[in-house]
Amino acid sequence: MNSNPNVNKLGGNISGRNNWPLNLLLGITAILATYLVVTASLTQTEQMIFGLFAFVSILVINKQSWGHTRIVVMIVISIMITSRYMYWRITSTTDFDTPLDVFFGWGLVLAEIYTYFALLLGYLQTIMPLKRPSVAMSLDQKDWPIIDVMIPTYNESLSVVRTTILAAKSMDWPADKLRVHLLDDGRREEFRDYCNKVDVNYLTRDNNRHNKAGNLNAALQVTNGDYVLIFDCDHIPTRSFLQISMGWFSKDPKLALVQTPHYLYSPDPFEKNLKIHNKVPNEGMLFYGLVQDGNDLWNASFFCGSCAILERKALMEVGGIAIETVTEDAHTALKLSRKGYNLAYLAIPQAAGLATESFSGHIIQRRRWARGMAQIFRIDNPLLGRGLGIFQRLCYTNAMLHFFYGLPRLVFLTAPLAYLIFGAEIFSASVFEVIIYAIPSIFIANITNSLIQGRFRHSFWNEVYETALSWYILFPVLLAMINPKFGAFNSTAKGGTNKEDYVDWKSSTPIIILLLLNCTGIVAGVIRLTADDVSDQIVATIAINLVWAVFNLIIISAAVNTALEARQIRKDTRLSRKLPATINLPDGKTIVCETVEFSQNGFELKISQPLDLPRDSKIMVSLFRGDKEVVLPCAVKRSGKTIGVLVDELTTEQQNGFVQTTFSRADNWINVWNVDSKDSLLRSFGEVMKYGILNLAPLFIHAFHDSLLSMRKKNQHKPFTKS
Amino acid sequence: MKIISVVSGKGGVGKTTISANLCAALRNKGHEVLALDFDPQNSLRFHFGINPSDEGGIVSSGFQSSRWKESIIKSNDGCLVLPFGKITESERSNFEQAIATQANLLKEQLHSLGLSPEAYVVIDTSGQLPFLKQALSAANLTIVVNIADAASYATIPMINGAIGQYCEGRSDYVGSLYILNQIDRSRQLNEDIADIVSMQVGAENIALVHQDQSIQEALACRTNIHAYDPNCRATQDFSDAASKITEVMSGISQSSAKRNSF
Repeated sequence: MNSNPNVNKLGGNISGRNNWPLNLLLGITAILATYLVVTASLTQTEQMIFGLFAFVSILVINKQSWGHTRIVVMIVISIMITSRYMYWRITSTTDFDTPLDVFFGWGLVLAEIYTYFALLLGYLQTIMPLKRPSVAMSLDQKDWPIIDVMIPTYNESLSVVRTTILAAKSMDWPADKLRVHLLDDGRREEFRDYCNKVDVNYLTRDNNRHNKAGNLNAALQVTNGDYVLIFDCDHIPTRSFLQISMGWFSKDPKLALVQTPHYLYSPDPFEKNLKIHNKVPNEGMLFYGLVQDGNDLWNASFFCGSCAILERKALMEVGGIAIETVTEDAHTALKLSRKGYNLAYLAIPQAAGLATESFSGHIIQRRRWARGMAQIFRIDNPLLGRGLGIFQRLCYTNAMLHFFYGLPRLVFLTAPLAYLIFGAEIFSASVFEVIIYAIPSIFIANITNSLIQGRFRHSFWNEVYETALSWYILFPVLLAMINPKFGAFNSTAKGGTNKEDYVDWKSSTPIIILLLLNCTGIVAGVIRLTADDVSDQIVATIAINLVWAVFNLIIISAAVNTALEARQIRKDTRLSRKLPATINLPDGKTIVCETVEFSQNGFELKISQPLDLPRDSKIMVSLFRGDKEVVLPCAVKRSGKTIGVLVDELTTEQQNGFVQTTFSRADNWINVWNVDSKDSLLRSFGEVMKYGILNLAPLFIHAFHDSLLSMRKKNQHKPFTKS
Repeated sequence: MKIISVVSGKGGVGKTTISANLCAALRNKGHEVLALDFDPQNSLRFHFGINPSDEGGIVSSGFQSSRWKESIIKSNDGCLVLPFGKITESERSNFEQAIATQANLLKEQLHSLGLSPEAYVVIDTSGQLPFLKQALSAANLTIVVNIADAASYATIPMINGAIGQYCEGRSDYVGSLYILNQIDRSRQLNEDIADIVSMQVGAENIALVHQDQSIQEALACRTNIHAYDPNCRATQDFSDAASKITEVMSGISQSSAKRNSF
C-alpha cells in the first residue's frame, strides 16, 4: 500500500486552498470539455466508433502500471461516457406513447438518474483513499490522557459481554488513566455483581430513553475522562487498541473522532447462508476497507457507534451523542463536522465483534440504518446548513442517499418485465441505439469500479447484497422522508444457533416474488419470440430484454439463497489461530501442542501423537502470551489426533488470562482482515451464478418439504430452535 | 571451549537434573558436550545411564589431565560425561585442600583436556564454597537454578555476590541465566515469585522449567527427558533454554569474548 501524500498535510490545514486561480481555471476547462463530449451530436456509426474507442481505451489503460493516475483517468473516461449516455437518455429516449410507457419509462429513467448520481458521488468518495497510518504516542506517559471506555448493553448475555469487559480492561494504557464502564440498560443484578468482581464501573439509569444514545449520554454525565472510547458489548478490543488509535489526537488538535474498522469474526448471513465465507469479500468490507478511507480524504469519516474514540470536550459541545435519529453515530459525526472538528478513520482492525445471526436479524439492522440515514437527510440535511465544506456535504449526502437504493434496485429488477409481460416501450429508441449508448457506459463503469473496489467487493455482489435488502429498506426510507419520527428502535440479536437448515419464508417472500416474476417474464418473452409474425426489430427488443431478465434472475437467485438459513450448531464462533499451548495431564505429564482454533468457551489442540482421553476428564491447558502463561482448567470433549476441550468455570484471574492470551492479542485481526482478494468480472459473475442460480435445488427441496408439512396442518412444525 | 557453571544458593532445587537435561538439549542441537560432575554426591552420572559400579572420576584421577581424560565416559546420547568419582576420606581432604589453594585449578584442568573451541562444558557445581569458587572462576556463563519459593528466592543475593566476585570483570565471562525450576503457573505464589525474579534480573535473563512428571520418570529410566518424552513441556523448556545459551555463547570461541547480557 503506497501512502497517500495528503497524509502529510493532516493536523495542519487540510483543505489547503492555496492555488485557487489555477484550480478555478482547471475546473472551468474540465466542465467545458465534459460539456462538449456529453452533448456532441454524432451519427449512430460515429457513436458506435466513439463507444468502441472509449471501451478499448479503458481496457488498455486498465493494464497500465501508472499507479494512482490510472484510476483517475479511468474515472474521468467513465464519467464522460456515462454522462453522455444520461444526456442522450433524457433528451432522446423519453418520447413515450402510452400512459403505460410513460409510467414504466420515466420510472426507469428516474432510477437511472439516481444510479448516475450514486456513481458520480461514489467516484468522488473513493478516488484517493487516505490510508492514514498510525501515529505513535509520546514516550512520556505523564502526558497521556484519561480514557473512559464505555460498553453499552441492553439484553445481551453476560457470556458475550464478559469477554469485552476483560479485553477492555487489558488494553495497554496506564492503569490510573483507563476507566472501564459498563452501561447496563437492562439493569441486571448479575451484571452489577460481575462488574464489582472484576473492578469495573457499573452504570445504570432509571429509564431507557433514546436507547443506546441515551445510555451513553447518561454515562457522559457521571464520568469526566478526556476521551470516550465506545465498544458495542460484543466488540472485543485487542490490547493495542489505544496505543494504535490515540496518537492522532496529539498530532491534530482539532480532531474529535478516531474511528477504526468493525471486524466481524463470525460470518454474516450472506457468508453463512451462501457459504461464501473467506471466498468473497463480505458486505462490510467495502465500507470499512474503502469508503471510510475514501471519506477520510475529504475529512468526512463516519462515526460508526463502536470501536471509536471521541474527544469529550468536542462531543459535549454538540450536546453529546445525537438523539434525534436512530443512527445516532452518523448524526453525531455530522454535528461534529459542522462545528469545524476533524474526523479520522484508521483502517487498522483493533477490535472484533459478532455479525447478525440471521437474515431476518440482518434485515432489522439494515432497516434501522436506512431509516436513520433518511431521518438525518430529512432533519439535518448535509447539503444545507452551516459549517461543512462542499466535499463533506457531498460525501455525507452520498452516505445517506446510498440507503435510497431500494426503489431504484427494484425498478431495475423488474424493468425488462414491463416489455416482456406488458409490452410497454420503456425506451423510445432502437435496440441498436441502446446498445451503442448504454453498453459502453455500463461496461466502462463496471471495469472502473472493479479496479477501485474489487479488493473490497467483487463485481456483481453489490447487486446481490442490494437485491436481498431492497424491499426491506424501501419503506423505512419512504416513511422517514414523510415523517422522521415514525418507527421504533430495534437492537440486533447476535450469536444464536439452529440445528437444521431452514428457509425463512417470511423474509424471503419479496425476493421469491421477484424471482417468479422474472421467470414469468422470461417465459413470456420466449413465447413471444416463437410467434410467427415478429419483425427483426421486435426480436431484437425481446432479446435484449431477455438478456436483462436473465441477468436479473441470476442476481435474484443468489439473493434468495440468503434466506436459506444454514444450520449453526455452535453458539460460539471459532477462530482459526495457531497459538502455543501445553496440555497438563492429571498424572503430572505434559504435552506441548498448539491450538487449531479457539472460541470464547474452549479450544481445539493439535498434538503430535494421537492420544485418547476419557470424555469429560479434567485437564489443565496452558496458553501463552510473551512471557505470560495462563493455566486453565478444562474438560475434554473429544480426543484423538486433536483434543477438543471446553474451559471449566474460571476464576476472574483465569478469565482475564484467557482473554489476554486469545481474543485480545494485538495481531489477532490484522492478518485476517482485508486479505488481498483479486476481482475479475467474469470470475465474479461465475461466483454469483455458482452460489445462486446453480444452487437453487436446496431451496426447491425445502419448498416442497415445507409445503407438504403445512398441508398436513401440523402446528408443531418449529424448525427454528433458539437457545 | 564454552564453560557453563550450573550453581544454586540452596540445595534440592534440581541443579543436577537441570545440568543433565541442559547437556542433552545442547547435544540434541548438535553440539559437542562434556558434562562435568563437580559435586561429591557424584549423582550426575545417573542421568546418563552410566553403570553404578563404574566408580572412576575426577577425584580419583587426581590433577593429571591425562587421567581426567581417561575417566571420560561417553553416554548413549553422545554426551561426554566426567563423573566426580567415588571418594575415600583421605582423597577428599587432599582434593579439598587442592581446590582451596589453587584458585584456577578447575579451569586449567578443563583447558588441558583439549576439547574443541566449540564444545560446551556443563559443570554441575556443589553448593560448598570451595567448589563454587572454582566453578565460577572457570565459567564463561553461570546458570543460577532456583525454584519459585521464598527460601530459594532469598539465596539469590548471596549467589549474585559470589558471581560478582569471581566472574564479573573477566573478559571471557558473558553473564548469568536464571532458571526457575519446577514452575507451576496455576499457583499464584509461583506466578508472583516468577514476576519478582523477572523484575529483579530482567525477563530476558530468565528461563523457565515447568513442573513435569516426565523429568522424574526419565531419571528413573536412567535417561534424559529429550529421549524419554520429546513432546513434553520440560523438553520444550530445556530446548528453549539451550537456544538462549547457544545464542549468548556464540561469540565466546573468539578470543575477545565480550560481556553480553541475555
